[in-house]
Amino acid sequence: MQIDLQHRPSAAMAHVVLASGESLMAESGAMVGMTPNVAIQTGSGGLMKGLKRLFGGESFFRNTFTAEGGTPGELYLAATLPGDLVVLDVGPRGYFLQSHAYVASSTAVDVDTRVGGFKTFFAGEGLFVLKTRGQGQLIAGAFGAIEEVQVRGEYIVDTGHLVAWEDSLQFRIAKAADGWIASWLSGEGLVCHFSGNGTLWMQTRNPSEYGQQLGRRLPPRES
Amino acid sequence: MQTEVLQQPDFSMVKVTFARPGEALVATAGTMVSRDTSVQMKTGLRGGLLASAKRKLLGGESLFLNTFTATLPGESVYLAPAAEGDVAEFNVRPGESLMIHSGAFLASESTVKLDTRWGGAKGFFGAGMFLLKAEGEGKVMVSSYGALHPVDIRGAGFICDNENIVAFTDGLEYQVRRIGGMKSLLLSGEGLVCHFQGRGRLWMQTRNPSRFAAWVHPFRRVRSRSSGGD
Amino acid sequence: MVLSPMRHEIVSGPSFAVLKVGLQRGDVLTAEAGSMVSRFPRVKMRTRLNAPRGAGFLGVLGAFVTALIRKTVAGESLMVNDFSCDEGGEVTLAPAFSGSVAVRRLNGGRILLTRGSFLACTGDLTLRMRWGGLRGLLAREGLFFMEVSGTGELFYTSYGGTLEVPVNGTLTVDNGHIVAFDPELDFRIRTPGGGLLGLLASGEGLVVEFSGRGTVVLQSRNVSSLTSWLAAWLP
Repeated sequence: MQIDLQHRPSAAMAHVVLASGESLMAESGAMVGMTPNVAIQTGSGGLMKGLKRLFGGESFFRNTFTAEGGTPGELYLAATLPGDLVVLDVGPRGYFLQSHAYVASSTAVDVDTRVGGFKTFFAGEGLFVLKTRGQGQLIAGAFGAIEEVQVRGEYIVDTGHLVAWEDSLQFRIAKAADGWIASWLSGEGLVCHFSGNGTLWMQTRNPSEYGQQLGRRLPPRES
Repeated sequence: MQTEVLQQPDFSMVKVTFARPGEALVATAGTMVSRDTSVQMKTGLRGGLLASAKRKLLGGESLFLNTFTATLPGESVYLAPAAEGDVAEFNVRPGESLMIHSGAFLASESTVKLDTRWGGAKGFFGAGMFLLKAEGEGKVMVSSYGALHPVDIRGAGFICDNENIVAFTDGLEYQVRRIGGMKSLLLSGEGLVCHFQGRGRLWMQTRNPSRFAAWVHPFRRVRSRSSGGD
Repeated sequence: MVLSPMRHEIVSGPSFAVLKVGLQRGDVLTAEAGSMVSRFPRVKMRTRLNAPRGAGFLGVLGAFVTALIRKTVAGESLMVNDFSCDEGGEVTLAPAFSGSVAVRRLNGGRILLTRGSFLACTGDLTLRMRWGGLRGLLAREGLFFMEVSGTGELFYTSYGGTLEVPVNGTLTVDNGHIVAFDPELDFRIRTPGGGLLGLLASGEGLVVEFSGRGTVVLQSRNVSSLTSWLAAWLP
């Protein structure tokens, strides 16, 4: 599978070439265009994922795209919000990923949605943490530009700015300021304290901050 | 009329400079950034006042066009589309018309004819959008949500998500299909797509407005029963 | 007050710019609440009401009322965060919308800024709200302009790219596209033409007519246009 990232860094789109018979899994809705010989199969999902979908935000259903007809197939994929894409090599190391950052992956990359201990990670916005396993490539999308940070020791990041991080890093969630009232007043959400050595990918914009600022200016909804 | 696209590629805008008095530019309502005060702006109430008001109230993007007319040579107008992304310029000529997603139309010289009621215009998109045909002679400016990506169509053709279509050359064959069945529609996944065949060019945008709208939907305030508003 | 310019870097520009500021002992960076991306653990953050520093009780009360109005009308935050660090550390800030970050160093001068464009400031700057007039009530962005004066650095953002346009005579600008302008310019908020009907029919927002000589800083995107456009696609 060949992946070429185009229109970086703000409107990035992945151009994927699948060999005949090769498959790719992608987040539903990620397809921009494709050659007619690519077949789509909607993922079944399972009950757990279905429940997760009901709590707002994007679903974690994935479609399987397969090049058929004896010829290679081409596929163009993109994330929802403006921003960059990054390709992660799963295998030598594993990654944790913010659920909305997932765009696509090789079928041999397993994505675990039942990562324990992360209930309050994103302050209840229907986001959750994914863990990758297996072997292959994973395409992650960001809101804004992607800043790659080599953590050597300690670093604090607002959770809304997290895209992905290597599983060699230790992390704990904390309130932004001392005390709940101070945190709420400060306007900052939860932060993640990272320690150890490893790479961390941050996005330069915070989707929930953006969503709130935009949402309050839109006509109200019925439910 | 001279046009210059600035701030590319992420927040593109256009500077239009008039050469002679009387030259006119037709632009989608709400896209003016600034103009020399002496440029005349006239509002076009296409379809009559009631229709316009209805479209405006429903929040739909209508084909509301304002006309900017120069009174002096060298006057200028700056335009910017609503969405983040790029702006591209095309020249239409007799026999070389352009089909444009109504939401992507930014502006054109007044010499270009904009046809909104040609056969086959409807059924392409949701949200009151339609396919516009730009024909005649002159410059047309279109905007994309995200980057503009051209695809040359030949052979077996190409399938594009409808909401990622910006424009395509007249003459291409196209067929709207639903892929993935009912389930994918519910998941706001791939719903309507268009299969292009023949020879021509398609311009796609790398971001999808209806996916963006679905993403922002949970952030909207909930309408309260009592007063129906804030 | 000892003033040394803080080391700062604007990265990831121009479309998703973030501001990185290096803090030394004694430095204070005042930032818009909610704008922090990351910081070194030893950087301290103190939240306070957005009132001029050193304002007395009435000053704070006035600021509170103004802030409350701004919050109700335009949803702006009541609070700002002061970042400081005794040992030296770094803080990264970003606005909510995409676009650029720019810095303007003021040496006793003044600049008028659209309130939503404020990101952070350092030094001895006074932030004073100026009322946009009754017509400004119709325009969220134009309700208040912020007058920044004094000595220090001002970091401001624009939604989209920034464009500096000189005014020589008169220039009519869409309200939502204004970032900042020279205070020497005269400005008047107007309906785009055709009165109230014209306002609704033209699809254009309120416009500001600038006259005199000076520079206007524009942004190439406009939040009101974005929401109108987006509204068509909403379920």
